[in-house]
Amino acid sequence: MTLDGEETITDQEKVRIVSNFILHSPPGEFNEVFNDARILLNNDTLLKEGAIGVFGEYSKAQLTPVKIKNSEYPVLISDNNDLGSNRFYDPRSKQSFKYDPLRRETSNYDSWEPEEGTEKWRAALETELDLYISNHYKNGTSSVFSKREDGKVVLTACIEAHLFQPKNCWNGCWRSQWSVSLDSGNADIKGILKVQVHYYEDGNVQLIGSKEIVENIQATDEEHLARELIKMFEESESDYQTAISENYLTMSDTTFKALRRQLPVTRSKIDWSKMMSYSLGKELKQQ
Amino acid sequence: MDCALDLMRRLPPQEIEQNLSDLIDLVPTLCEDLLSSVDQPLKIARDRQSGKDYLLCDYNRDGDSYRSPWSNTYYPPLEDGSMPSERLRKIEMDANHAFDQYREMYFEGGVSSVYLWDLEINHGFAGAILIKKAGDGSKKIKGCWDSIHVVEVQEKSSGRNAHYKLTSTVMLWLQTNKTGSGTMNLGGSLTRQVEQDATVSEASPHIANIGRMVEDMENKIRNTLNEIYFGKTKDIVNGLRSVQQLSDQKAHAALRQDLAAALQKRQAKTSASEN
Repeated sequence: MTLDGEETITDQEKVRIVSNFILHSPPGEFNEVFNDARILLNNDTLLKEGAIGVFGEYSKAQLTPVKIKNSEYPVLISDNNDLGSNRFYDPRSKQSFKYDPLRRETSNYDSWEPEEGTEKWRAALETELDLYISNHYKNGTSSVFSKREDGKVVLTACIEAHLFQPKNCWNGCWRSQWSVSLDSGNADIKGILKVQVHYYEDGNVQLIGSKEIVENIQATDEEHLARELIKMFEESESDYQTAISENYLTMSDTTFKALRRQLPVTRSKIDWSKMMSYSLGKELKQQ
Repeated sequence: MDCALDLMRRLPPQEIEQNLSDLIDLVPTLCEDLLSSVDQPLKIARDRQSGKDYLLCDYNRDGDSYRSPWSNTYYPPLEDGSMPSERLRKIEMDANHAFDQYREMYFEGGVSSVYLWDLEINHGFAGAILIKKAGDGSKKIKGCWDSIHVVEVQEKSSGRNAHYKLTSTVMLWLQTNKTGSGTMNLGGSLTRQVEQDATVSEASPHIANIGRMVEDMENKIRNTLNEIYFGKTKDIVNGLRSVQQLSDQKAHAALRQDLAAALQKRQAKTSASEN
């Protein structure tokens, strides 16, 4: 029975809504959003059948760092190392594994081999990137992936850094993805940088920012390329961060101040008794 | 309902309207509760009778029509739309006049509307005081402020005192898209609540009492918005990544500590020699 004006939507539409909610979970709040969505949908079978792919999709989009066996470095879950059927690989430790995005657990480890001729480029960039991460990120993780595409070597460097403080009602996350396409001595680079912050004590305030970058550099060998790339990453990311800080300054000094004053021009708060008698007087005169 | 509210507190506020409409589609039984408890950005409409703009929200809605506080008519026209009692409409007209001046003094622009409605509980009424101001987009940054103050008034039997409960939400939206910073969207809302008793007299009618509370509350929220938007979230970004090399920062911190220790030593020596 439906009430007047209430239209029930199809299961397919329900799955679309719930999936969309889960995909928009702020960093570090997947579990909370998932639980809310699950209770509101109130149909675990439908959730399992319809939205299962969304959990993995969210893990990849967030570049979720995962601890793995036999390596002191975590690996980032991403589109680049997705082998299908919930299997991913870690190029650093040369292992593949099954990943459960709900429990965030790995299992069924196997050995993994990189594509021929790509590893020396990848390994050189990884070494330089590790150093860069420790220099600029307090809680950063990175992974470098390599593959061959149309005969070219393609490297993808991913960076993830997060600070989760649910007890203080805030979470934040920085993500970078740098894709490098090598053609003899020429490297075409595309980067996307993302930052998201959520503050939710008695409210819901979010910063959502992103910037795309296109660059090109020349390099003689793998070590030279790695150094040049890191130089470029460092410069671009610092420029981006500085530009964000400048926006903050303009927003608070100009935009915010123009929206609402701290006090009226008189520099004192309103005398409400006076204001009321004044407006009443004006009304009497009009009559 | 708790899950629905928790979800709205977590999902990006920039998509609040879409999220709310999806949520209502998903759980239609919560529709009325959600519409009355989740604040949305205010919309502006033109009252053709008075030629003035007024604000739309759930508090002046009846079906698909919205009542203007200036001419007291519904747009699109609605027969038998709910109206405040005659006594309350008088207070409502004064309140709109007073808050129009308040808006001009603090916002120097924008639109305001006040809506009152009678409460079933004896001698009570409630009201919504709404203000919306959009920035002029200077320096390529778009800005918008929405204030939604909901007040409940219980008159004491003597008529000389009243109890006021104020729930205020301020939404602040800032957006920019520049070459250097890409797209940056900083937005959302903060909600605060306060209760107080006050004397009601000719010199201090309900509107003056409510006005003082709204003014204090908005001033406070403005300070908090300033701290959270431009302090806290910025600090979190700079906590994630550091423009300076972290090793440099550590060296600087160590240097500062050495300097402080050396200064302290010298001060101790000076004071010792003075004695």
